[in-house]
Amino acid sequence: MTQTRSLIDENGKRTDGRTRDQLREIKITAGVIKNADGSAFIEFGMNKIVVAVYGPREVHPKHMALADRCVLRCRYHMCPFSTDTRKNPAPSRREVEISKVMREALEPTLMLEDYPRAAIDVYVEVLQADGGSRCAGITAASVALADAGINMRDMVSACAAGKVDDRIVLDINDTEDKEGDADMPVAYMPHLEQVTLLQLDGILNEDQFNQCLDDAVNGCKMVYEFQRKALMQKYFGNETELKEEQ
Amino acid sequence: MSSSKRSTIIVEHLRKQQMWESISKGKRLDGRDLDQIRPIEIEVGLIKKANGSARVKLGNTEVVAGVKVETGEPFEGLENKGALILSAEVLPTASPYIEPGPPDEETVELARVVDRGIRESEMLDLTKLVLISGETVYVIFVDCSVINADGNLFDATSYAVVSALLNSKLPVFEIRDRKVVDTGEKQNPPITTLPVSITAVRIGDSIILDPTAEEEACMDSRITITTNSDHNFAAIQKGSTGAFTVEQLKRAAATARIKGEEIRVKIMELTKPGK
Amino acid sequence: MVPGDRIVEGNFRPLFNVIRAGNSIVATRIGIAEAGREGVKVIPLSGIYIPRVNDIVIGKIMDHSSLSWGVDINSCFSAHLPAQDVFGRDFSPARDDMGRELAIGDLITARIVAFDRTRDPMITIQDKDLGKVPRGELIKISATRVPRLIGKRGSMIQTIEYATHTRVLIGQNGIIVVTGRDLEGIKLAVRAIRMVEEEAHTANLTQRVKTLLGVSDSSPSDTSHVAQPQNEVGEELNEVEKEEKI
Repeated sequence: MTQTRSLIDENGKRTDGRTRDQLREIKITAGVIKNADGSAFIEFGMNKIVVAVYGPREVHPKHMALADRCVLRCRYHMCPFSTDTRKNPAPSRREVEISKVMREALEPTLMLEDYPRAAIDVYVEVLQADGGSRCAGITAASVALADAGINMRDMVSACAAGKVDDRIVLDINDTEDKEGDADMPVAYMPHLEQVTLLQLDGILNEDQFNQCLDDAVNGCKMVYEFQRKALMQKYFGNETELKEEQ
Repeated sequence: MSSSKRSTIIVEHLRKQQMWESISKGKRLDGRDLDQIRPIEIEVGLIKKANGSARVKLGNTEVVAGVKVETGEPFEGLENKGALILSAEVLPTASPYIEPGPPDEETVELARVVDRGIRESEMLDLTKLVLISGETVYVIFVDCSVINADGNLFDATSYAVVSALLNSKLPVFEIRDRKVVDTGEKQNPPITTLPVSITAVRIGDSIILDPTAEEEACMDSRITITTNSDHNFAAIQKGSTGAFTVEQLKRAAATARIKGEEIRVKIMELTKPGK
Repeated sequence: MVPGDRIVEGNFRPLFNVIRAGNSIVATRIGIAEAGREGVKVIPLSGIYIPRVNDIVIGKIMDHSSLSWGVDINSCFSAHLPAQDVFGRDFSPARDDMGRELAIGDLITARIVAFDRTRDPMITIQDKDLGKVPRGELIKISATRVPRLIGKRGSMIQTIEYATHTRVLIGQNGIIVVTGRDLEGIKLAVRAIRMVEEEAHTANLTQRVKTLLGVSDSSPSDTSHVAQPQNEVGEELNEVEKEEKI
């Protein structure tokens, strides 16, 4: 990919002023959609994404139900006003692929055997996109699933790392995504310490790959703190209020 | 092909009874008066990638609208006018009964009714959005996404569209060497009037404004009336399988003018820059 | 607790909403953890109702086939009420009109008699105090708050009933019907129930409810007790049955 300009300046600052290993600003709120069983709203850099979870619930059509476990359905969709050029509301191939990898990132943590013959629907709606929207979507979806009270082995936190100006950086923004060398989104279960999503777009040698992966996992751990804060905020208020034990 | 269907929400008889009794005494189950509209919250400019945007909450119903501007060919027969294209989507996040997929007839009706209100009232003076008559004009897309559905999608969506347009800054295009060029300047949209939609439903013999989803599940018929800043009617749509008397319709129309003005003032207030 | 959080290390017995991960017991849902002699569990603060045999629930008739009614019990599993349960063993679809007994939209109090991983729950209305609910104000709360609403040995709900001169019928599935002679009493009871639902996890809830109801604190101190755990069916059944009288 030929570069037309430098994305990191002499002081190590990126196009948006961040340092190499700095995350964009993150804000997560749990429980934002009244009708949903669980929901979350995330602002991750300029990404604005709302996620609703409906389930576990009855499967329609009935023949799609699985006898011994729950069906997980995941939809990643971008609203027409979310990108620089207006996006047609009909699903694109990119959205179809992202829906699939999202589902595969979340499924390992959900205890689907607990809800046989039911379905859990996860709807990820991108209101504004800014590089790393699938990571932000997975992060918010994990909060929404916990908000819905679905049994999960662990949370799933997601963050991307990449290569820009031949340097490994954390949390790629829109410009870096379009003009950089490589983009690696990662989703990670922070307690179980396992990766549930990994993709690479671009060229990395072995050292760069290792560093990118390490950086992304660290990014995921930082993201986890925001997820935790959002859930604690909704369920336990600003301070943990303890019930008197018998 | 449109088929009659049973309401997706089955309201418990006890609840319907409660609703009827309460309404006949002049109050609704959520405590509102029959002609009381739910609290309205409007946030504008939240989508930086759009030319204009608004997030409207009408009670628990929540809609986001975004404006995107391009250039293109005018509609056939309307060579001297810019193009306005309005679409609406009820996102599957909005309620347990929505499935992803192409728009159903309710959603198509929603988009068309809201569109009619904006278009017929001539909220935008489209004659000011022409570059080369008959060839190249401004194309204004307004896309709406319903995020949470709790009744009265018509009004919430309409307010979102109006607020998003009020919030918009359009690019200034020019023709240079037969090509469209974005000069980089910004202009305010040519707004001539503020259409406001008011929806009422009939339950028994009473007319209530701004129904919740539960009230819509129990309604006999629905009427959506859009008035402009001169308090004239721009668009009307009756919905659902019940009926209205002439008297009820006239009263609804009169109420729509009064309430319409109240909402108009509120929208202008909440979309003022600096909010 | 947030999903994935470690509760204890060591040789404890996992009870509800927890799993063993290596040497630790880990939470699978948002809630309040409890570790005691019998084992470790998490009292969930969110999530839909999952049916258990012997639960008393309030359901809504959705439709009927020629042999049973389909009943919405506010869960991802819909229940069925066999026609024989109502008409007796010599039920005949030709002679006995199901629609007249129980119509779509009717509410019934029922008990879950069967439910396992392979079949939807089956309910009965034949026991004492079960059957159609003819009148009352209907409210829905999260099923996870029901134990708190009932209180230790029924203390919370009794406080509300006495202070507002109402009878409150509580389904384990979060559906509640309030009956009473005067509207003000019913309204106040509803407000108290909503308060319990929203603040179930906080301390001093009993005190605040009493203040709302205008009840003096001279009644024997009722220590705000952690909601009765969901496995003590016997004791729970007792408490719920007490609230059954219409």
